[in-house]
Amino acid sequence: MTEELRKVFHEELDAIKNATVRMAGRVSEAIVRGTDALLSGDLDAALALIENDDAIDAMSIDLEGRCYQVLSLQQPMASDLRAITGALWINGEIERSADLMSNVCKASRRIHGKTIDPIVRGLIEQMSAEAARLFRLSIDAYNEGDSGLAAALDDIDDRLDELNEDTVEAIFASHKNTTEPDLQLSVQLALVCRYYERIGDHAVNIGERVTYIVNGWMPENTGAMRAAARANEDKGEK
Amino acid sequence: MTIETETEDTDNVNIFEVSDVNVYYGDFRAIRDVSIDIEANEITAFIGPSGCGKTTMLRSFNRMNDLIPTARVTGELKYRGVSLYDKRVDPVEVRRRIGMVFQKPNPFPKSVYDNVAYGPRIAGNVSKGAEMDDLVESSLRKAALWDEVKDRLKSSALGMSGGQQQRLCIARAIATNPDVVLMDEPCSALDPIATGRIEELMAQLKDEYSIVIVTHNMQQAARVSDKTAFFSVEVSEESDLRTGILVEFGSTDLMFSNPTDERTENYVTGRFG
Repeated sequence: MTEELRKVFHEELDAIKNATVRMAGRVSEAIVRGTDALLSGDLDAALALIENDDAIDAMSIDLEGRCYQVLSLQQPMASDLRAITGALWINGEIERSADLMSNVCKASRRIHGKTIDPIVRGLIEQMSAEAARLFRLSIDAYNEGDSGLAAALDDIDDRLDELNEDTVEAIFASHKNTTEPDLQLSVQLALVCRYYERIGDHAVNIGERVTYIVNGWMPENTGAMRAAARANEDKGEK
Repeated sequence: MTIETETEDTDNVNIFEVSDVNVYYGDFRAIRDVSIDIEANEITAFIGPSGCGKTTMLRSFNRMNDLIPTARVTGELKYRGVSLYDKRVDPVEVRRRIGMVFQKPNPFPKSVYDNVAYGPRIAGNVSKGAEMDDLVESSLRKAALWDEVKDRLKSSALGMSGGQQQRLCIARAIATNPDVVLMDEPCSALDPIATGRIEELMAQLKDEYSIVIVTHNMQQAARVSDKTAFFSVEVSEESDLRTGILVEFGSTDLMFSNPTDERTENYVTGRFG
């Protein structure tokens, strides 16, 4: 009675998940190496990572096509349906995270040769480490179907948000005693912070999708809840 | 006894209320302790593996099982508040109100017109020419068949395609103005285009009728139904006897995206042999 009926289909689902995790592994690496390239001013490493992003884009497009293939040919249901729609979402989050690291590398070219304030530098290192950790945890949650870990990501992300604020403040503080602030450097560094902060948000989104894949719970969205509450109020008035 | 309905037509009326129903064929219990409420003007799908009792359950709704000498129903099965298996209830009246469409199209070897007119003629409520013509036309229109057959009403129904024959059977079923239409795998003998037309038709018919459909095609259940009931087979370890049980019943959206019961999950994802 418990004999597996759709072996090829379920093997493809597993293969899609494995390929997604592998793609995420490359992004994890890019977070660490991109930050090194930025802080050490290594232009070759930055260029290599920008090119690496093309390879990640190719993986992402390939995975997206495989998901559509499964949807159209296998008409998945229940947990299979959630697995495949979840993979599509997560694929997008990973691909965008890779783009953000590519942006970090492009910023490193724009500020090449300039000296970064040591406090800002330290904070960027911390942000990078925190973004890498959060991203890795989200992929662990996906790989292991760990909805508990997935649910914790939003709280873990608070640390990255705090660091983001601290870094922006530090950028301002670093200009206190200068009469001619380096706008290019400051703007690029503020953007870099923002990129790490966004990687954290993508990790939180991945966690929400993992919750849906595992439990079938759609992510809570405060905006959507406010809209529903307003619609209910309108109904009540009529 | 005629069936007096207890409720007015409002939202969320239960057309059937089934509690602890068992159906036996002789000593063999085909379904065990099924309880389920079926809402009016909805499409309810029964899915499950072969031998799970879904067709037996469907046939209980219009007492088709009466035609099998050894069949016996226990428990309570109410149609609009009236106990269907009450001795005073006339099974012919039940089947007029609760029509059925079968797996294989089974038109009578008569003309298209006579197939549709057959039920109303027997019931004796419509007999005059013009009135009958109107009824035949409106039934064929509701079954989305009129345009295809209006010029050949007198030709034999057996000359039609399988999909047309099945829509003719639906027209025949609704000609007696039933309340419920039961469908037992109505598309399993049809090609995908004919299947698509029947599915489209079901969506149109549910405003006027309540529909219960048994289907082997899970995608079909997911496409057409509002609620889905999953039946399964339980095998007794001692006697190796197989009995049909209702595992889970709920909104179709949830049954196919996030079912509660692991057995439903295993069935709809194909992890079940």
